[in-house]
Order: sequence, then structure tokens, then C-alpha cells
Amino acid sequence: MSIAKKLGGLIRQSGLSDWPEQLKQSLERGLEQRVRLAITGLSGSGKTVFISSLAAHLLQSDQGRSLPFFSPAAEGRIIATRDLSATAPNPFPLQRSLAGLRASPPHWPDSTDALTEIRLALRYRRKPGLGRALGEHSTLYLDLIDYPGEWLLDLPLLTLSFEQWCRQQQALFASPPRAQAAADWMASQRQIDWLAPAPEGQRQRLAAYYRSLLQQLREPPYNLSLLQPGRLLMPATLTGSPLLDLFPILQNWPQEPEKADPGSLFTQLQRGYHDYCEQVVRPFYQNHFRHFDRQIVLVDCLKTLNSGEACFNDMQRALTTLLHSFHYGRNSLLRRLFRPRIDRVLFAATKADHVTANQHHNLDLFLGLMVAAAQREIRFEQVDTRCLALSSVRATEAAQARLDGQHLSCLRGRRKDTGEAIALFPGEVPVELPRVEQWNSDRFRFVDFAPRPLPVGPLGPEHHIRLDQALEYLLGDLF
Amino acid sequence: MADSTQWQRPLELPADAVTPQTTAQPPHQPARELPLEQTELTETDPAPEPPPSPRRRGGGHRLLLLLGALLGLAGAAELYRLISWSSAIHPLLGGGFTLLTSLLLLALGLEIRRGLSGSRQLRRVQALRRQAETLLQQASHGDSTPLLRQLEERYRDTALEQELRRAIAQLDSSYNDREIIHYLNRHALERADRAAQRCVQRYSVESGVLVALSPWASFDMLLVAWRNLRMIRELATLYGIAPGLLTQGKLLRQILYNLAFAGASEVAMDATSALLGSSLTAGLSARAGQGIGAGLFTARTGLTAIELCRPLPAPGQRKNLLQLIANGIVRRLTGRGGETEAEGNV
Repeated sequence: MSIAKKLGGLIRQSGLSDWPEQLKQSLERGLEQRVRLAITGLSGSGKTVFISSLAAHLLQSDQGRSLPFFSPAAEGRIIATRDLSATAPNPFPLQRSLAGLRASPPHWPDSTDALTEIRLALRYRRKPGLGRALGEHSTLYLDLIDYPGEWLLDLPLLTLSFEQWCRQQQALFASPPRAQAAADWMASQRQIDWLAPAPEGQRQRLAAYYRSLLQQLREPPYNLSLLQPGRLLMPATLTGSPLLDLFPILQNWPQEPEKADPGSLFTQLQRGYHDYCEQVVRPFYQNHFRHFDRQIVLVDCLKTLNSGEACFNDMQRALTTLLHSFHYGRNSLLRRLFRPRIDRVLFAATKADHVTANQHHNLDLFLGLMVAAAQREIRFEQVDTRCLALSSVRATEAAQARLDGQHLSCLRGRRKDTGEAIALFPGEVPVELPRVEQWNSDRFRFVDFAPRPLPVGPLGPEHHIRLDQALEYLLGDLF
Repeated sequence: MADSTQWQRPLELPADAVTPQTTAQPPHQPARELPLEQTELTETDPAPEPPPSPRRRGGGHRLLLLLGALLGLAGAAELYRLISWSSAIHPLLGGGFTLLTSLLLLALGLEIRRGLSGSRQLRRVQALRRQAETLLQQASHGDSTPLLRQLEERYRDTALEQELRRAIAQLDSSYNDREIIHYLNRHALERADRAAQRCVQRYSVESGVLVALSPWASFDMLLVAWRNLRMIRELATLYGIAPGLLTQGKLLRQILYNLAFAGASEVAMDATSALLGSSLTAGLSARAGQGIGAGLFTARTGLTAIELCRPLPAPGQRKNLLQLIANGIVRRLTGRGGETEAEGNV
């Protein structure tokens, strides 16, 4: 009985039970009809808005108006698009987030607290040529998932042991600004004997403290990104679960860990880390983060420019580490069938509408600076990458100001927090890393804008910036 | 601090200092706060010079001029003698000849005027294209405004005007110069491009079939030349260039020059489609193979003519079209009647 149960569990774990579905998916993917696009981004980088806008534009791409640089739409080859996400277990709340953007006053979607999926089917006419031999019409299935960005940073944990993770965190917390913010936390850890039996409730108490510390580091003025474990910040269904009573040992790393008492904090944490990785992170990774074909990495560069060098470095480190969790490389036909890899990556600087249009190129270059290391590693696998400044939903209008007899391009929009209408010249985006003294000067002031209302009717090219070029780069060759 | 002059401070502006940019007009009026840097950039990194047009004049040119003057004078003297001789015979005959001569001169003058305006238009189109090619290399913002204005001016009162104007009005304020050129390339000349491709296809298939069917080998060349000239004339009209003998001659010279100095890759690409065409016709006959060759030559001439007449650098669809043409000729010759498909599929 127990063996049968175990076998059943194993089969479920390995995903063998739904093999007919998997086979079908593999076949479709092999014929390039099913594309899984990885939308990667830290929290607050605009994944939900990107997916909503992408879906809204694609759903009406048969009219061919709103995506002039996406060639299948511009050439009128898309016949119609259908939203198939209703069949998914956790459908993406497309209508809700679109309704928020269409409301008056419109507002950005709430931050995501669960994993949701959206599946679009695009029926299109093939290009004239040899491909038409397979039939004039074809369908491309596009799968996207939306999830809290915090969870993404858990993926690197899968390759680390508890000790390695603690060492990494120790190095992080040794340098500013973490060292200052966490001074109390370090001091309290210094008092603890990790190997001795721990009193009841100590681990929970410490974990709660660590969670509040992480929350503090995420907010201004720190705005840090590399905060692990990510579920502590966005527990969703795991709220209150003992799996989340987890924190790294930063001080007093025990000399002889093998002598730890079974009831000691050290043993508890080590076990907790293992359970967290196996029960929380691995299913998340296995079910959703393998088998991508294309990837877009959304980066909020303006946040780092606003908050300074530490934030920049931290985000850079976070992006570089988390991109190690994806598989890159060229796909052969067999490989595409059974174990696809990401063969095209777009790095996108979101919120391009928050700078004036003449700064978009600078924003591209600045993004290039931030992801240079990650890009180099991906290119080593002979995978195409590109940097692009885009905006999924345009929140500002371009305007001209006359100042001292000179024309100045500026932006008009409403503040996100107060809703007050402002005109702003946000400064110029630097094309090289600013020097230390320039970071916190008044060189740039990027304000968060509230969205401009989207029309209920057809969207136009004026409702996004370069979303079509991103699509063309990511998917254009598949049509 | 010296640094503070390098960048402009962020500013919050009073709402009344701002005028919204309407997207109906070309949105790139004077967004020029970085002109200094950009001009420096282009100076330190000059755009690659386009290949110089054939300029082997000098002594030969003078010789031609002299010859022309001599012939012109001789002709004028002959005409004068003709008129004086005929009017000596009878005043009515003299009058008739005078009338004929003046009509001829008038027609000649008109043709020359048209030709001159045609070649002026061609030069302007060339200048526009060169400008657009430079812009394609840059990531600048706002430098394309003069080009847009010139484009509008150039195509005012032509068949292309409406589409061009609509495309310019639809340009988004966030596009940089490269994106503007790409956008216009795709959307501003759509109708003319489609018509031109159909025209090239029709003429190439025609000349291919004519050559394949013509019984006299020596007649082929004449046939091809005739179809080609007709095609060039039609293409020039499609792209808003006044057709005329002079324009046609000039265009033909440039086309031949371009064909002769085409890049190796292009030749290889064209050759593959020719090969494919000939493999298709291996079963037909040698004449059919010649027909395909003639058709492809016409197609290449046509495509080069399109490139020269377009104010924007042409997007590459060459291979596809050549393939279609080769297939079209084969279909016609084998009587499979697939021509409608071949022509509709561009």
C-alpha cells in the first residue's frame, strides 16, 4: 500500500501522469506553434502591466493599427486572437487590470500576490513562400505567466546549500547599506549560541524580526532587490506557515556544526532551509520555470537612478544571479521537442514614458550598463540579446516648454501618489555610471506617474512605447 | 563646478509654460537641446560615403559638347536652307515647312524641359535617400524633421501625397530618427511599392515569355530592351518622377551602373534563384531557360529602378520577388496558369 502510494507520489512529482498533454505540448512546440515567453522582472518592474498591455494589443492585432512595428500585425496577416486562459487553473485577471487602467481615474494594477497564467492563440496567415506548403493558416499559442517578482529571487537558492547561502548573505550584510540597516539584527544574532537547544518560539520570533528587516530594506530609502527568501516578503498562500520561519545565520557561524543539538536553532534552520527549497521553490521552478523559449527581462532603471549606487549594484547583482536559473542556448529540432532552451533574450527598460523621448536611447545604453555581465554570459551561449527602452502603457504626454527663450522637451502627467497634474523635465539619463558624488545630487528626478486612461475601444500606437518592437524581436520570426 | 554645465537639471514647470505637442503635425519640431553633442558625434564619425556616381567626364565631355554644337549648327543651317529653298519655290510650301520646324522645336523644347525636371526630381530623391540612410545609422532624436518637410514638399500634388502625409501624421512622438525612417519605409509608400512590384513582375514575366517564344534569337535583345524601357518609364511615374526620354536615359545609365557594380552577395543571391529557375526548366527547353534569364534580368533592372526612384532606402524583399518571377515564367510556359497567384502574392 505504502509502496503504491510512494510510486504514485513519484509519478506525480515527475509529471508523468499527464504525459499525453505533455506530448502534445512538445509536438506543438517542436513545430514552433507553442511559445513560452518568460517574463522576468523583480518586483515593481512592471510585469503585470506588460502582460495586460501585451494581451490587450494582441487581442486586437487583427486590426493592425496599434502595433506598426510588429510585422505580422502590420502586414495584416493576423486573422484573430483568442484568449484561452479561462481553461487554466489560475487565469490571469486580464479584465480586472484592464478595467483598472480604463477607470477614471485610472490606476496601475495592484502588486501581484499569486501565480497566474495567460494563454493566447494567434491565428495567422503564413508568409508567401515555401511555408505556405504547410497550409495557408496556422495558429501560434503564446503562454505567459505572471507571478510576484519577489519569488523569482528564490530560484538561485536551489543550487545553494544552507551554509553557502549563509556565507553569501554574510558577505552581503557586511557592506553598506545593509550593514547599517541591520546593525541591531547582527547584534542580536551575536548573542545566540546556534548549537545549543533553542527555547520554544525563538526561531519564530527571530524570523518575524528578519521579515520586518527585509521589508524595511525593500522600501525607500534603501530600495534593495536582492532579498532572500522572497516568500517572506510575499507569502501569499503560505502566510503563517512554519516553512517561512527562516533566516540566514549572519554572526557566530558555529565552528563545529556537526555537534549541533537536534533541537538547536542551527539544525532547525538547516532543516527549514531544505524544506523551503524542496517544498516551496522547487515546485515553483519545476512547474513554471523550465522550458522557456524566449525571455524578456524587465528592469526598472529609473528606480535605481533615483535611489543611488547601492540600489544599482544590488539590482545588478540580483539580475545576474537570477538569470543563472534559466537555460540558454540554441535549439535543435530534437532539443526543441524535449528540452527547449531560451534562444532569444530581450532586456527591456520599462517606464520609458517617464523620461523624455530624446532620452530613450540613453536609457537603452544605461540598461546595457546594468545588465552587461548577464548579457555577456548569455551571449557566450550564442543567444541573441538586445536592450530596449519600452513602456507598456503610456502614462505621460510629450510637451514643449518655453524657458528663457529656449524650447525644452518635457512630460505632462499626473503624479501617482497625489493625482496632481504636473509638467516635468526629469533630467537626462546618464550613459555611463555616474560618479559617487553625482548619484545623490539633483541630477535627475524621476517621478512615478499615474497611467493615462486607456480607451475602451481600439488601442492605438500612442498607447505604448516600443511594445511592438519588443514583440517583433521576441516573436516576429515565428510567424 | 564644471560638471553642472554638462547636464540639465530636472525641473518642474508651471502648467501654463507648457504647450502640448499635437501629434497631427510632425512632432519633432524643435526638440533640440543636445545639438552640440550630436553634431560633434557625426563629425568624429562620418557616415560612409555612398559610392561616387560615374564621373569620367572632363575631356570626353568637352568633346561631346563640341560635337553636339557642330551637329546642332549643321542641323540649323540645313533647316534654314530647306526653308529658304522651299519658300523660293512657293511661299505656301515655305510656310508649311516653317510650321513643321517650329512644331518640332517646340516638342523638343518640351521634352527637354520635362527631362530636366525629371532628372532634377531624381537628384532630389537621391539626396533624400542619402539623408535617410545617414539617419538610419544614428540613434538621434529630432534630426529627421528637415527630411520629413522635404519629403512632404517633394511629393506635394502627386499620387503619393496622401499616403505619405497620413504616415507622417501617424508618427509617434517617441520614435527616434531610425524608427521614423523604418516606419515611413513600411507605411508611407505601401501602395506605390505594391504597384511597382506588380509592374516589375508583369514586365519580367512578359519579357521572359516573349524571349522564350520568339523565333529569332537576334530579336530577343530588342524585345528585352523595349520591355525594360517601358517598365522603367512606368516605375518612374509610379514614384512621382516625371517620365521623359532624358529621365529614362539617366535612370537607365544609373541602373546599368548599379547592376554592373552590384555587391557579390547580391549577385550570389540572384544566382541562386536563377539556378532554381533553371532547374525547374531543365525539363522544358533551352529557350525556356533563356526566357527565365531574360525575365530575371528584367526583374533585376526593375528592382534597381525601384531602389533608385524611392526616396527611402528599400527594404530587402529581393530574393522573394525574384523567386516568384522565375516561378511565374515557368508556370506561363508550362501552361499551368498559376500567374494570378504569382502576381497576387507580393
